Amino acid sequence: MNTNEVNQVRLHVLRTAMDGRGVPSASQTATALELSEDQVVEAYRQLAEGHVYVQEPGDPTSLRMANPFSAIPTPHEVRARGKTYYGNCIWDACGIVSLLGGTGEVRTRCPDCGDALTLAMSGRKLVHKEGVVHFSVPSAHSWDDIIFT
Amino acid sequence: MLLFRSEEHVGRSGRPPGAFMSTDQIWDLADTWYHNRADPLWRRRTLEESQKVFADLGLTGDFWKLR
Repeated sequence: MNTNEVNQVRLHVLRTAMDGRGVPSASQTATALELSEDQVVEAYRQLAEGHVYVQEPGDPTSLRMANPFSAIPTPHEVRARGKTYYGNCIWDACGIVSLLGGTGEVRTRCPDCGDALTLAMSGRKLVHKEGVVHFSVPSAHSWDDIIFT
Repeated sequence: MLLFRSEEHVGRSGRPPGAFMSTDQIWDLADTWYHNRADPLWRRRTLEESQKVFADLGLTGDFWKLR
């Protein structure tokens, strides 16, 4: 897979997630782009190697993260454009709102007390905010175990 | 990266000390980081470019160093 082909795969995955259709499997992407599944798996591998997306552990045909989107439900729920999405973390959840135009809501719960917490954005401005963001892992080690991070 | 009610709640949760960021900072970071991700010409930032994004948001110090 050359750089242009890998980028086409990157964009297809991202646009599918943005449309609210979830993160596609290698088989689905292969069908959509008229590629072989092996080619898409190779593209997924290159995108993971480049820290663009994250493959599902033990399953190279699936992505766990099409950053900023999570392929599976998480505690970081996003509502934008009338649809619901899931971010990998609070950073990515805000990133989904940004990617979708800058208007939406991020809903999560305090990991300590379970209180519902909401951030709301409108026109690329943060218009409702509460809470504080905590990073456990120093930036230099963010990708050591990105699923934990 | 998690949103807590307050710094006190982080301490009670048993998380490592780590570092804090305000909600304004996380929004600015996310908007800078992701707003153009669907651009066909998008490319991943170099480490130096990423470090500058952090610095521009006031995220300096050892914790925010990318290497």
